Amino acid sequence: MFLLRNSFRKSTKVFAYITFSINQEPQRQIHRWVSPTLRELKRRRDKVGPEKPFARSSFLEWNYEAEIYAFGKRLGENFNKDILKRALTHKSYIIQKELEGETTDLQSNQDLIEEGSLIISECLNEEYGKIYVKDIADSIIKHLTTEDMLSHVAKHLGLTDLVLTSELPVEKSTLANTFKAVIAALKQSQDLERAKKFIKDFLIVQLNGQTVFDLWEPEEPIEYLNNILKKKGIEQFEARLCNESASNTILANYQVGLYSNKKLLGIGWGENVEIAKNTAALDAIRRMYKLRTVLI
Amino acid sequence: MSNTSLVFTPSFIKNPSQNGLGRYVCQLQRVVLKFCKNNGSSRGMREFIEEELVDYARSNPGVVVYLKPRRHRGPVISAEYLNGDKQWINCRNFTKVEIFKWLNLLKTQQGDTTGLRFRKLWHTEMPSIQGPWTPYTFRPSSLNLISFPNEDLSKAPEEESATDKLIELYKKQRISES
Repeated sequence: MFLLRNSFRKSTKVFAYITFSINQEPQRQIHRWVSPTLRELKRRRDKVGPEKPFARSSFLEWNYEAEIYAFGKRLGENFNKDILKRALTHKSYIIQKELEGETTDLQSNQDLIEEGSLIISECLNEEYGKIYVKDIADSIIKHLTTEDMLSHVAKHLGLTDLVLTSELPVEKSTLANTFKAVIAALKQSQDLERAKKFIKDFLIVQLNGQTVFDLWEPEEPIEYLNNILKKKGIEQFEARLCNESASNTILANYQVGLYSNKKLLGIGWGENVEIAKNTAALDAIRRMYKLRTVLI
Repeated sequence: MSNTSLVFTPSFIKNPSQNGLGRYVCQLQRVVLKFCKNNGSSRGMREFIEEELVDYARSNPGVVVYLKPRRHRGPVISAEYLNGDKQWINCRNFTKVEIFKWLNLLKTQQGDTTGLRFRKLWHTEMPSIQGPWTPYTFRPSSLNLISFPNEDLSKAPEEESATDKLIELYKKQRISES
């Protein structure tokens, strides 16, 4: 076992050998032994199996106060230390401490999680409720408030090591809840405006590069378009085949335009007329709702 | 060297969690400086700690700096990033300046890039904002009103035939002879 552990430690040194040799003397090539050695180390690592999960806070070099301080500074926010600490303490941690027989005066972040969740949905509704119709706004908000998304953001804020919980490794739901609690803590430390700015800067930017139709797509675009037209009092549309190319071949392509009262609503193409019609309906919906092609 | 080598991992330029789009967050979250108090190989590290460390920590309040003295072991920088990466640098016989430079590098990168080989020096998630090409893109609008099959368009292009070229040559020859 000792030999094995030693060899793992060496593996980082092998990498160090490759990359940092620049510092000492010029290196012409990566030596022939490096690759086989790494291969052997990888084989041994696979044989042993995955490493046991560990808490970073169990290390000797760990100062919770300093970490809390750095957390706020890193994000450019002034947190109230006590509120931030409470936001990071989960119920499971307190229960665990009590079971171990320790008396703690810690408070759990249950109420902060609920408050933060409300702030997030309020902020997102403000952001998207006005510019998009309800269906689209709802699906964008749903996408942004999934456990995966919130935990991803929380992880990249550096919350994984700071959370006080009994789980090891920290679960996604816990991370997502911590993110909500941190937002509530920010609101209590500063004000609501600041908390909303935080949500914009860290959560909403995750939509970068995505289109509306990545997050929302009506199941029956043609029926959906018909409903919109009825509501707006516009005449029913008429689908026309604008172009066709290479029909009866594997590369067949049709272009369909939807017209209402001789005005073009939307145009789309596909490998058969039905698909082309659906694409055209989506295009018409995009034009009617004035959806941006890219969300940010 | 082959692309499937174990030594270098192929990768693209990355930006973790859309960093910098809203506000910029330094991705280095903590750094541990390990050194020996009396071994010569840690000399530069000790000088750095005595003279520059306080300034470094003050100018980077978002990075937690730990010092870990260990007897008779080489100096090491161990850095941890927000994306979970951990980077280990052997600083044997490094000078104060070198350590400062390495720490500066750690501060400015997004994760552990040791043993990475960039497949390209640029990357985009959206290769085309224009959309895919179809046979109707950039088609001349004069074709809109034509019904196919069309006689004019089906005609062979009028080019000078080989016979015509020969006759032309023959005529030129006669002019030059006369």
